[in-house]
Parts: sequence; structure tokens; C-alpha cells
Amino acid sequence: MHLARQVHLSYYDKAQNAPHRPPTGRRVSRVESRRPGSSLAQVVRDIVQYRELLYELTLRDLRIRYKQSVMGVLWAILTPLVVVLAGAIIRWAFASLVGRTVAPIELAALAVKSIGWSFFVGGLGFGTASLTANFPLVTKVYFPRELLPISAVLTQAVDSAVGAAAILIVFPLYGLGHASGLPWIFLLVGLLVAFTTAVSMLSACANVFFRDAKHIVQLVTSFGIFFTPVFFDLDAFGPAGARTFSLNPLTPILEGARLALVTGHDLREPLISASGAVVWAPSHLLYASVWALGGLIVSVIIFRRASGKFAEYV
Amino acid sequence: MSRGEGYVAFDDVWKKFQYGEVHNRLRDAIPALARRLVGRRDPDDGLWRGEFWALRGLDFTIEPGEALGLIGPNGAGKSTVLKLLTRIMEPTRGSCVVRGRIGALIEVASGFHPDLTGRENVYLQGTIMGMPRREISKRFDEIVAFAGVEAFMDTPVKRYSSGMQARLGFAIAAHLDPDVLVIDEVLAVGDASFQQRAFARVQELVRGAIPVVVVSHQLEAITTLCTRAMLLDRGRVVSAGTPNECITAYLGGEASRPVAATGDGAVQIESLLLSSSTVRSGDRLVVTLECRVRENGWTEPETLRIAARSTSDGEVVFETSSDQLGTTVPVSGAFTIRFELQMNVQRGIYLIECHAWDRMMGRVSFTGPAANVDVRDGIPFSGIAQLNARAVVSPAANVAGESTPPAQ
Repeated sequence: MHLARQVHLSYYDKAQNAPHRPPTGRRVSRVESRRPGSSLAQVVRDIVQYRELLYELTLRDLRIRYKQSVMGVLWAILTPLVVVLAGAIIRWAFASLVGRTVAPIELAALAVKSIGWSFFVGGLGFGTASLTANFPLVTKVYFPRELLPISAVLTQAVDSAVGAAAILIVFPLYGLGHASGLPWIFLLVGLLVAFTTAVSMLSACANVFFRDAKHIVQLVTSFGIFFTPVFFDLDAFGPAGARTFSLNPLTPILEGARLALVTGHDLREPLISASGAVVWAPSHLLYASVWALGGLIVSVIIFRRASGKFAEYV
Repeated sequence: MSRGEGYVAFDDVWKKFQYGEVHNRLRDAIPALARRLVGRRDPDDGLWRGEFWALRGLDFTIEPGEALGLIGPNGAGKSTVLKLLTRIMEPTRGSCVVRGRIGALIEVASGFHPDLTGRENVYLQGTIMGMPRREISKRFDEIVAFAGVEAFMDTPVKRYSSGMQARLGFAIAAHLDPDVLVIDEVLAVGDASFQQRAFARVQELVRGAIPVVVVSHQLEAITTLCTRAMLLDRGRVVSAGTPNECITAYLGGEASRPVAATGDGAVQIESLLLSSSTVRSGDRLVVTLECRVRENGWTEPETLRIAARSTSDGEVVFETSSDQLGTTVPVSGAFTIRFELQMNVQRGIYLIECHAWDRMMGRVSFTGPAANVDVRDGIPFSGIAQLNARAVVSPAANVAGESTPPAQ
């Protein structure tokens, strides 16, 4: 039962002789800590290194989402469908006021935007709770914490992809949609995922320290739809209204998707409505990109800086 | 990373925590922030009000092949060391370098999701602990067999008993191939037979050429597994050396009993000496007490008692007194009293305690010092008492003619 006993006494002497005086403020600046690098490149390297865990966490979230539910994956279509229905009712009410009917193309626009909006709302809600919901992991095991909000957004992305696939099947059947818009869609989906990830990471991080974040996110997910052109298109508002709505980073993404896929508009060209409202300008794309990519960089850095404290606060 | 590359180095590590509630609402945090801006740090220790140091300047390295045991009372900082080792927390000051893949036998089922099946959870938990999927697939059968839950792999974990969950969690963690191993109180998982298997597996891992850190209140586990130990108290290293030295310091020192030898009785016990700090199970141990009777003391003799307490469960396994042994304690002056014990007990570490007993008042009148003895080797047995058993096998012919049926 005996193991070779080898005693190192160097630390023993140190421990005995060390003046037990806690550090002064001046010395704190010379901390050599093993804090993981907070550069963007380091975060990307970490995520690549832990890609299998990202996969497992996403798989876990997808599994538990549809386990023990009768409808299963149909929920992925039903949720945006309800948003479409709500939009259709509002449109129908307004259309009947002026004595016209709702055109199929309007429903198509609603469908495209609803999927985008449900993805944002779902990803944000799920991402915000990701750190607090996984607190046994956060306090017990080390891995890059970024994986939790990212896997939440990925889970929602898979979910929304089911709805998007439904659109790709249904649209050609009814002669809706323009295939020429598909490349733009890829770009816009990329921006939407980046923006959702950025916001989710920030709110997940904030939620660890202040549970107020959860309530703010709830407000955004319940009422944000009134500040985002989902039920209406941008040309429904006057020039000033369109300008104001365009400040919302989601506006160019959702409007761009509608114009490219449903209207068949070339996003390199501006589009001005009869009322003079700027429905689309190429600069909108730039605006959304700055929000999405800039937001992602900023949120990754803030998240990484804060992640060392998660285990103490969560 | 291959075996033998793991390495642990703590260099002057300090870690600060806050007492009480941390601010989880903005409404609480803003006044707190204001107080911090206006308030002033205590100039001596760099702490804000409500903060304390959980670790104060910890310094050590662990080379491959070494196993360091951490012992100490609750709040000594053991768990904080583990959290720093596993990178869950960062030091406030100083550096912790941990090289290589860390295998942590801590809360081994923390990643389980109750709705997922055993199979799904093995992959999830394994990946969380840093095992590549390929490796999990390769060792899957081994893990499941070790846990003994083969029949339930497609059952959701929420339908498992807590013992089954813990066994599965331990099995996954025990099949990591770590460069650095961290063990925290997981040796108490499952039933007796599983504990034995788990302990054997841990010993196997510890013998690999990797650095190991063990935290346990089961002190025998520390002596069996570790090559050296450190006694922590309130964030400082109080003693460092062999596991036995640290355990003696822990059990006999201030850490466990702040009042070492106290009492207002007439008989004062000044020291307790053991003939040896290590004995074989079944051997004789002599305990000598040096005593002095206070002046203007007493007329009624007091009784001196000694007890052997198991450190693994805190139970007193044996207690006797001068009365029971038929000796009388002198009523004046200084004297020594020798107790001879035959250590017919399980191997392990026992604390030998002594006190004076006032028969008139029916109370402990003086608590004397204590020392620990490591009982090892001897004849293996289970249970608490060693009954000097013998087994004799005789040929069946010798008992022929008795009422037992003939063996054929």
C-alpha cells in the first residue's frame, strides 16, 4: 500500500517565511494570471477546439426540446405559422377598411419575416437563459463559456431551418418567390445569426450578474415586433416613419429578405415607395453588417472578459 | 497531449471572495457601487468591507508521479484550490499554471440531463469532461460495464436511482485519460462493492505518471493515495510534508481543536506520548500521560480516561479508564500513567484522546492533548473488531460417522 514518499520541502519553507501580508494595490497591476486570452482570435481558436462539445450541447438542446412532445418537430413550423396568422389578421383588418383583400404576396412577405423574427426572439430568449440554466456546469466544469449562448442560438437556427425549408417547398408550389434572391438570403441569414448571437451573448452575460436582464429581454421579445416591420412593410409608413424604423438593425435584414425573395428586388439598387419613403438603399446592408459584425466582436470581447467571474455570480 | 506532460504550479496565489449576497439586481448594485466609490479600502489588507481572502499566498508545484493531499477544516480553502485548478475560477492575484488535460473526479454527474437517456448522457458528459467522441465510442462498453447499468442505457437518466446516476458519472470520469487528476470526495459513491472498485480505479490512475490532487475528509484515503500533503487553514498552508505529518498536525493541532488542553479539574494532563506513531494492526501501543495534580486540590480521586477515535467516521472505537482498569490516580504531585492497548482494529488512522473525569460532578474536568496513530498492515478483515480468527480445513474422513451426509 505504500507509495514512494517523496517530500518536497521548498514550498514548506516559503510558506513559513512568507510575510502574510495581502497584496497592495500597486502589486495587483503585475498579476500574472492564467486568464485565457480575450482576443477574438483566441475565442475562435477555443471554439474550434471545443467544437465537439458545441455539437453535443446543441444536440442535447434539440433533443430535450422535442422529447416527450406529441407534435415534436412540427412545433418548429407551428410557431412561425402563428406569427403569420396574427399578421394576416391585422393586414386583413386594415385591407377591409380600405375595401381590398390581402394578396398572396403579402402573406409570403409575412412568412419570410416571421421566420426571421421567430429566430431572433427564440435565440435571444434561449440564449439569455443559457448560462443561468446551466449553472451546475458553469460552477463545476471548465469549457469556453461562449459555447452555451452559441449552442442556444444554433439550436434555434436548426429549429428555424425547418420553417425555412417549409417556405422553400411551399413557395414554388404557389408560384411565389424569386430564385434570384437566394444569394442575398444567404448573406442576410448570416447577418441575422451574427446579430442574434451578439445580442444573446451580451444578455446572457448581463443575466448572470443582474437578473433584470431577463425582464428586459422579455419586454423585447413581447413588444419588439411593434418596433420591427414584421406585420407591415417599410413602405406602409411615410418617409419619416421609414427612416425611424430603419434605425432598428433588424429592419434592413427582414426587409432585405422580403425584397430579395418575395419581390425579386436586386439589393444593389435602392427602392423608393410612391410616398417617397426609402424602403431600401444599399447602405442599409452596410448598416446591418456593422451592427451584426461589430456587435459580435464587441460582445465576444465583453463576454470573455466577464466569463472568469461567472462561476462566482451565477 | 501524452502521459507525463502534466504539471501543476501555484505561484503566490491569492483569491478574494465576498461575504453574503452578491448583487443580482441593478437596484442593489448601484448603491453598492456608490459606496465603493466613496468608501475606502482597508489600507492593511486591500479588502473592501464584506470581502475576505479565501486563499492567501499559496505556493506549490506538483510534478508528474506526485499525489498531493489537501486537508483542513471547512472553509480552509480546499475547494477554492480545486476551482482554480479546474479553471472554473481565476485567482485574484498570482498565477496558477495547469498544463495538460485535467480529469476531475468532482461532482461527476453535473452535466447529466434528466430527460436524456443513459447513452446520450454518456456522450454529453464525456464531451463536457473533454473526451473526444471517438474515444467515448471506443470505451463506451467499458464505461457502462464499470457502472453496472448495461440494461438501462436507453432509459432516461431521471428514472435512474441516485446511486446509478453517481456510478455512471464516476465511470465516465474514471475513463478519461487525464494529464492532471483532481479528486474531491468522490470515493463515497455507490454501494460498498462499487466503492471498492472505484477506489481501485483511482489508485490505478494515481499510480500513472501524472500529477494528482486529492481532497478528502477520509484521512486514510489521503495516506493511501498521496505521496505528500498540505494542511490548509483559513487560506494558508499551516503544515506541509508527508500525509502522516499533516494529519497529525490537523488532528492534534489548532486546526481541529482550538482548545488543546483545557479544564478546571484538579488533575491536569500535561502531555500524551505514544510509543509509536505507526503500528501494525494487532500490535501493542503504549500511551503515556504526564499529569500533575493542582495544589489545594481535592479529596476524591478523579478518573483518567483514554479513547481511540476512528478518523474516517469520527466514531470512538474503544474507551477505557483508570477505574475500569483497577488503578487509582494519586491525589497529589506529578505522576505518569501508562495505558497499554492492543490495536486489534481495522487499518486506518486513529486519534488517541484523553481526559480527566470528575465522578462527583459527572463531567469532564480536564481535556488533555491528543495524538494520532496510523494502524496499517496486519491480517486483512472487515468489520470493526479484530477477533483473531483462525480457519482450519480438515479432510472429510475425520467427520465421517457424524450426522452430516457423506460427501461424494
